[in-house]
Amino acid sequence: MSRPAIEVRNLSHRYTTDPVLRDINLTIEQGEVFGFLGHNGAGKTTAINILTTLIAPTSGTAMVNGHDVVAERNRVTAGIGYLPAEVRMYPHMTAAENLVFFAELSGVSKPHEAVAETLEYLECSELADRRLGSFSTGMRQRIGIAQAIVHRPQVLFLDEPTAGLDPMGVRQLRETILRLNADLGMTVFMNTHLLSEVAQVCTTIGVLSHGELIYKDSIEETVRRFPDEASLEDIYARMESATP
Amino acid sequence: MITTFASQQIQSLRRQRIFVALLIALLAMTAVAGVLGWSSHNTITRVYDEAVRLLAADGKPAPPNPFLLKPSLSLLSNMVVYIPLLGALLALVLGHLSLADDEADGVGRLIFSRPVSRTHYVAGKLFAVASVLAAALAGSLLVGIGSLLVVNRAVPAITDLGRLVVFYGLSWLYLMVFALVGMIAVLMTRRTSLALLSAMGVWLVITFAVPQFTSGLRPTESLNPITNPVSTSQRFFQITAFARPYSVAEQYKAASSHILNLVTAEPVAQTIQRVLPIAVLVTSLAIVTLVLVERHDFSRSSSNE
Repeated sequence: MSRPAIEVRNLSHRYTTDPVLRDINLTIEQGEVFGFLGHNGAGKTTAINILTTLIAPTSGTAMVNGHDVVAERNRVTAGIGYLPAEVRMYPHMTAAENLVFFAELSGVSKPHEAVAETLEYLECSELADRRLGSFSTGMRQRIGIAQAIVHRPQVLFLDEPTAGLDPMGVRQLRETILRLNADLGMTVFMNTHLLSEVAQVCTTIGVLSHGELIYKDSIEETVRRFPDEASLEDIYARMESATP
Repeated sequence: MITTFASQQIQSLRRQRIFVALLIALLAMTAVAGVLGWSSHNTITRVYDEAVRLLAADGKPAPPNPFLLKPSLSLLSNMVVYIPLLGALLALVLGHLSLADDEADGVGRLIFSRPVSRTHYVAGKLFAVASVLAAALAGSLLVGIGSLLVVNRAVPAITDLGRLVVFYGLSWLYLMVFALVGMIAVLMTRRTSLALLSAMGVWLVITFAVPQFTSGLRPTESLNPITNPVSTSQRFFQITAFARPYSVAEQYKAASSHILNLVTAEPVAQTIQRVLPIAVLVTSLAIVTLVLVERHDFSRSSSNE
C-alpha cells in the first residue's frame, strides 16, 4: 500500500496565546480530492500554511508524501503545488515570464517547454505573452493554477480557489480540478466555503471548527450518515451547530 | 537559484516606471552637472579672454587662465551633491521595489512553497540590486565622461578617468546603504507605503540630520564638501567632532572630494579610513537583511495601501 499523501498527527498551532489549530489528526490518501470546510477563522489557511512549509507548527507532526514539513522542507516543497486565496504574482511580467520563473524555482529542467505544455493543458495559451497586471480575476486564477502545476506536483493545495470568480470561472475551475485529479493523478487539498463545489468535486471532506477537526469522511459515507438532511449544506450546518 | 532570483528582479525593475523615471533623472542631473560646468567654463573663459585683450592693449601682462589652476574634474563637482540626493533616492526605491512585490502581492508565499533557500533568495535580490545600481552609476559615469569630452574638447587623462571610476565605485558602495535600508524597511513594516516612508525617513536622517549634528549645525556643510572652519575647543563641538567619523554622508562627501582631487590632497590611508564606516555599514545592513528574511513570515501578505 502506498504512503498517504498527507498525514497529520497531533498538530497544534498558535500565533499568540489562543491556539488556532488544536490536536489535529488527519490522513489523506494518494489520489483523493479533499475538501477542508470551516467557517472564517477556523484555521484552514493556517493548516495549509503548515502543510506547504510556510510556517512551522507549534507542536505535532505533518508529513506530505512521507516527508516531514519541518525536517524535510525541500523534499516536501518539491512535490507540492500551491494556489493561495489571492493570486497576484509579478504584475509587470507576462504570464509566461512569471511561469518560467516559478518553474525554474521548482527545478524544472526545460521550463519554457513545461510552461507552454501547462498553458496548453489549461487551454489558456493565448494569455502567455500578456502582462499579469492587465488580467481579470478569472485569468489570474488560471495562471495561478498553471504556476501550481507547472512542475507536475503530486499534491496540490488550493486555498479558497473560487474566491472572486464568476459562475463560469467557478465551473471552469471545478472541471480543471477534476481533470488534474483524473489525468495526472494529483491529490488535491482544497480549503473552501462553497459546499456545492465540495459536493461536485471532492471525494472526502473534513470539517474544521474553532481549530478542531470535528469530522472527516468520504462524501458517500457522509450522505449516508445524515439521511435526514437534504443537502451537504444542511449536514454542515448540523455539524457546526453541534460544536460548542 | 541565485541567478533565477536576480534575473527575475532585473526583468521586473526594467518595467517599473518609478524606477525608470528616477534613473533618467539621475542621468539627466549628471548631464546637467556637465552643462553647468561647461557654461561656467565658457563664461569665465570669455571674461578672461576679454580681460587679456584689455590688459594687452594697456601693455600689461595677463594672469594665467583660472581654469588651468582648477582641477580638471571640478566640472563634475556637483555630482558629489547629486549622488547623495538623487542617487540615494534611486537606491532607496530600488531596494524597496526588490521586495515590495513579494510582500504586497503575496508572491513570497508562492516562492517559499517551493524548494528554495532563503539565503539564495536574499543573495539573488542583493545581486540584482547591486548590479542595477552599478549599471545606473556606469551610465552616469559615461555621461560624466561625455561632459568632460565636450567641455575640454579632449579625452580625459588616464588619472582623471581612474579617479572618476574610483569615485563611482565609492558612490556605488554608499548607495548600497540606501538600497539595503529600502529592503529592510519592507521586511520590518506591514504596509509597503509605510515601508517607503520609513526608508525615506532614514535617508533624511543620514543625509541631513546627522551631518547637521556632527558638523556642529553648519547647514552649508550638509550640501557642500567644505573644510571644517569651527573650533573644537567647546564641549559641544568636541562631541560632534568625535561622532563625525561615523557620519557616512559626510565621510562619503569628504572621500569623494579627495578622490576627485577637488580639495587639498590627503594621504590615501586617510581616504580609506573615511570609506571604512560606509563599508562596515553596508556589511552590517546586508547581514540584518539576511537575518530578517530568514525570520520573516512570508505566509502573510502586507497591505499595499
